[in-house]
Amino acid sequence: MSEFQSPEEQSKLESTEQETLFSGPAIAATVSLLLGFYTLMITHHISRLSKEMDKFIHSYGYWIPGSTGVGPDGSIGSYAGKEALALLVWGLSWTIFHLLWRKQDISVRGWLPIFLGGLLLVSLAFIHPIIDPFILLLIDVFG
Amino acid sequence: MPTDQYLQGQLAKFLVRTQAITALCILLALAGLDFFFPTNYHLQAGIHGISSISALVLGTYLTHRAYALIRGVHINFHSLRYWLMGATAINFLGALSGNWIYMRYRGQDGPKDWILANVPAFHNYLMEFKEFVSLFPFPLMLAGSFILFYYGDAIRERRDLTQLVGILILLAWLFLLLGFVAGLTLAKLRFV
Repeated sequence: MSEFQSPEEQSKLESTEQETLFSGPAIAATVSLLLGFYTLMITHHISRLSKEMDKFIHSYGYWIPGSTGVGPDGSIGSYAGKEALALLVWGLSWTIFHLLWRKQDISVRGWLPIFLGGLLLVSLAFIHPIIDPFILLLIDVFG
Repeated sequence: MPTDQYLQGQLAKFLVRTQAITALCILLALAGLDFFFPTNYHLQAGIHGISSISALVLGTYLTHRAYALIRGVHINFHSLRYWLMGATAINFLGALSGNWIYMRYRGQDGPKDWILANVPAFHNYLMEFKEFVSLFPFPLMLAGSFILFYYGDAIRERRDLTQLVGILILLAWLFLLLGFVAGLTLAKLRFV
């Protein structure tokens, strides 16, 4: 198509492209943080299933200062692993989605209700009396 | 403008600023005095308290800016970018110091042990909720700061994006308040 355009038309097209704001990077920033929050929630409930699972989740956070230790000074325990995995998912997904969507315009108004609903759900999933019946149901179904 | 009106305007401005600074100093004492508490963990308590209160105050101030973003009125984006970046940094400090004090919370004969022995619901429900949602404000504010820096002043052209930043600020504030009240309640129940 461009071979039939005059230089003026081409430069006009280029400047319009430069001025266009793509919402993709903003969506990538918010999708990824939500994925990070869900990672926190899922790893938290996995760690509650058994001591072995708690140790498994914990192992991802051994590099975090204060992640291990006993006595009065304590340690943050498997919380370190949950944070580490959430950071990993957040950072990786942000990078990937940013690269994929940096030249794409995605509907912000369409994304907002999903984002807010997702945040509400993940927050409720941290309230044990609300989420525990669902977890028990999942254990029943999948063994 | 008549001289009287001008002077009254200046007086109001002076009083508003004085009120804000006084409120901040008194509120900071709420956690600042932790530094002098008779515990081996007064440093962790003081730093976490000071950073949490600062984050809440900054977050509350930013909600006023958020409404301007959502309404779409004229905004000084240059100033907002740096305020939001500062709030993001304070929130990071809050989360970091939260990790530090959480060690003692879980330590031998620490608040967790006492709460589980006496009022377990406060740990099982309140703390298990608070320790995670308190991590939310930092990524929410970082996303807001990123959007403001990435798009620059051109973001004025996109009301949907400015509204998204406004909503991110309001959400960060909500989780800050939830974490703050839960944290303060737990500290009142059993201090480190």
